[in-house]
Amino acid sequence: MNRSGPLQRLDHLQVMVVAALSGLGLMTLYSAGGSAFHRQLFFLGLGVAAYAAAAALDYRCLRAAAPWLYGACLLLLLAVAVNGHSRLGAQRWLAVAGTPVEPSEVAKLLLVVVLAARAARAPRIGPRALAELCGIALPPLLLVLAEPDLGTAIVLAALLLGVLFLGGASRLSLAALAAGTVAIVPLVPHLLRGYQRRRLEIFLDPGRDPLGAGYNLLQARIAVGSGGWFGQGWMHGMNGRLGYVPERTTDFAFAIYAEQFGLAGGLLLLLLFAILIGRLARSAALAPDRFGALLCAGVAVVVATQVAQNVGMNIGLTPIAGIPLPLVSSGGSALVAGMAGLGLVQSVQLRRLAVLHNRSPAPGRPLLRGPGTVHLPL
Amino acid sequence: MLGAGRWVDLGGSSPRPGWSPRLLGFVLLFSLATGLLGGRLVQLQVGQGSRLAAAGDGNRVHREVLEAERGIIYDRHGTQLAINRPAWSLLVVPAELPLDAGRRQAELERLAQLAGRSGADLRALLARAPDAQAPVTVRDDLEPAAAQALAERLPGLPGVRLVGHPVRNYVDGRLFSHVIGYTGRIDPDEYGRLRGAGYRPDQLLGKSGVEAGLEADLRGRDGWADVEYDAQGEAARTLRRQAPLAGDSVYLSIDSGLQQRVAGLLQEGIGRAGRQAGAALVVDTRDGELLAMASAPGFDANALSRGIGGADYARLLQDPAKPLYDRAAAGLYPPGSTFKMITAAAALEEGRIGAGSTLPCPAAISYGGWTYRNWAGYDMGAMNVRKALAVSCDTFFYVAAEQVGDRPLARYARAFGYGRAPHLEIPRPAAGIVPDRDWLAATCGAGPECRWNPGETLTMGIGQSYLLTTPLIQAMYTSALANGGTLLSPTLVSQVRDPAGAPVRNAAPAPAGRLPVSPDNLATVRQGMHDCMNAAYGTGFRFRAAGFSHDGGCKTGTAQYGGSGTALPEHAWFLMFTPFDNPEVAIVVLVEGGGEGSDTAEPIAVGIADYYYSHRDAIRAPGPA
Repeated sequence: MNRSGPLQRLDHLQVMVVAALSGLGLMTLYSAGGSAFHRQLFFLGLGVAAYAAAAALDYRCLRAAAPWLYGACLLLLLAVAVNGHSRLGAQRWLAVAGTPVEPSEVAKLLLVVVLAARAARAPRIGPRALAELCGIALPPLLLVLAEPDLGTAIVLAALLLGVLFLGGASRLSLAALAAGTVAIVPLVPHLLRGYQRRRLEIFLDPGRDPLGAGYNLLQARIAVGSGGWFGQGWMHGMNGRLGYVPERTTDFAFAIYAEQFGLAGGLLLLLLFAILIGRLARSAALAPDRFGALLCAGVAVVVATQVAQNVGMNIGLTPIAGIPLPLVSSGGSALVAGMAGLGLVQSVQLRRLAVLHNRSPAPGRPLLRGPGTVHLPL
Repeated sequence: MLGAGRWVDLGGSSPRPGWSPRLLGFVLLFSLATGLLGGRLVQLQVGQGSRLAAAGDGNRVHREVLEAERGIIYDRHGTQLAINRPAWSLLVVPAELPLDAGRRQAELERLAQLAGRSGADLRALLARAPDAQAPVTVRDDLEPAAAQALAERLPGLPGVRLVGHPVRNYVDGRLFSHVIGYTGRIDPDEYGRLRGAGYRPDQLLGKSGVEAGLEADLRGRDGWADVEYDAQGEAARTLRRQAPLAGDSVYLSIDSGLQQRVAGLLQEGIGRAGRQAGAALVVDTRDGELLAMASAPGFDANALSRGIGGADYARLLQDPAKPLYDRAAAGLYPPGSTFKMITAAAALEEGRIGAGSTLPCPAAISYGGWTYRNWAGYDMGAMNVRKALAVSCDTFFYVAAEQVGDRPLARYARAFGYGRAPHLEIPRPAAGIVPDRDWLAATCGAGPECRWNPGETLTMGIGQSYLLTTPLIQAMYTSALANGGTLLSPTLVSQVRDPAGAPVRNAAPAPAGRLPVSPDNLATVRQGMHDCMNAAYGTGFRFRAAGFSHDGGCKTGTAQYGGSGTALPEHAWFLMFTPFDNPEVAIVVLVEGGGEGSDTAEPIAVGIADYYYSHRDAIRAPGPA
């Protein structure tokens, strides 16, 4: 039956949203000039391949591989710590065949799989599972923090919390975890490195040092504000084009996007991300098993956290922490790993029908929800 | 810990998850976050959009000044006297220097070295800058080779710029030093006064002479360009532009050949007398145009325009001969015997003497217990006013002045242009002093020492007492006697033209007053001046000795200065007009401390008059159309 072919079973809306976001990203990078556009185009090709491969892969086989994946994740991060390249004062890159690779982007994806696999072992997350999940997440988190890469550390922490929350940890344990986190907050200024603390101070008062540390924030805000209702037009965002917005292809790509496409473009981008998160959540809801559901949820949490933090720092709502905007910011590792993650969600999506067919081959049965569906906390 | 075996799952046996409240909550949370981000976007892009866009423009777009070319100064025949020449200046914008104190210091040291200044000097210069955003000129007028060498070092020096702009070049800076003056950078006082008129803190402006007096014409109007810069400070494009408008050209009334000769003769004559300073003017008696105006010693206007602050400028300021002082228009001197035409006219007009009546000319007279001497030590006999002028009899004019009285005499002096600064196209011509008892009371006070001694009236009659005049006032007074009684405003400018060559305005004779003298009495005075030059007994004997083939009228003057008494130093004066009928020019010569007017001043005037007649056609040729 045609309807049941794998291509028909894909989440088409997700594919369209991903394509639209990648397209907007390419346009933004093209407008920034330089080599970022061509590199991104190349990595988008790789990313599409990774997306297709991940979708084709039966995600369930990842469950068995989880310990190995976890080992790989730790090894990658350790390799960076030992033998990494420094860029902009942080040791985050590994040279692979002459191309700098950012292992923390790969580690993010691997940790999604590993945490989902552990959390899926029982229908709920008891105290023991909670402790184990925290124990799994902590080493990569600390390694990333040591690079230092505050942005990725935030994403990993959010991922852990997301898996615990969506995986059904008890309110009590979540509250205890939250209390523990809150207890650490006063220590944060002491744990932060000099420049991180400075970013926090500048976030609270950007006028303090307009040419120094506050420069990024101020220039990004100026570029966004210059966009107005409908933007300066593609290729006409002069603050971005003339180099006033720093990191304009990576962390602050949103600022030059917003300068060119204005409020209308900014809201469109946010709407696309909202749809994407909605579709990822829907895939989680439709997943044939708890592992698949948590896999989708984990990817959704990672994307959501990155969007909120990246756009937030571009418009001065959150402190600056280097997090790329998924599918838009330039960066090969992030793009390929991100596309692979979204492909995994499609893999879950593809296999939902297979499971349904196994259980009830009767045609005409509602696909989304039907009798016999058990509602559990994911 | 995590045993591998415990990760093996039961496959599809776990129940389907579905939309749990927590999953819905997560989606809702992200939607809320998106809404928050969207709201912030509205606030930034719509609420603060125009303000932030303006801040962005302020970052990227800088308004550059396009300097207007200063107007050219020509002589009356179109010979270039002041032109503009391209040059390079080294500027620094204090606000763009490195913020880090150490790097800033290092850069300033290097800059000082490149600019050939001391580091302390440079820091003091920057400390005086009124505005950290405005460029400060560190070095003017670099040689092209030096500019080239500097340009290569600029990338390592943030905030330092090399700017090409025209500088003033005076074709003969020494010859016209006081007439044309010089230009220089605006100083903080001037900037405070002129910023409202659109002057920049780094602007060049006229400091003296016609450069200052006609600043408004010469200056032109600066243009501007809004240039967009990238974050590295490279100009990306010009958004808007307003072309500069060059200043108007000024055609002086001066004939540069005559000026050259006058200055040369003056210098020679001063040297012969063993003196240092003097002034000479040639004015057209019919329209008040100055054909030559020289003040000695002069200065090199080019050296001053290249920038003050050097040792040259300090030397000029400290020179006891005061080369910066314009003696022709601002030098104050007692007129001495050259005042006698006024005393004569006053006595005639007031009916104290007649054209034919005579007064004695003894060697001395006694008045109020004091003795007042004639310059000749013998009795010259009774004479009429015509001869008294020709021989310059002091005792005749003591008596005449005493009969006129101080107040009427002062009134006549003022009517002849004394005591009032003539209007001229250079700043601050002096007014001089016309004393009488009212002036003394107003100046000195009510004490007994401030009472007008009647003897002052006598000495005022021969141009002494408190009387002070300037060579320029003398020239206009002589012109009035020559042209039949019209006191003219002097002018140094024959024409002002816009950059395209179209006349903006032409000099026109500007009468400043009529001499209050009847034609008959004026004729009598003029005859006295005629005899001074042409009669066998006239004091202007140098003209006769030189075999001067034209006639005219003259008056010598030997003016005591430096106190009262007998053996005082004297300034040498010579006033003349020529020819006698329908006069064309008046010539005034002063030699500071030159002694007898006929000895030192007159020979200079002879040379000038000779040159005038031998080059009359060239001098009188009409200016360029």
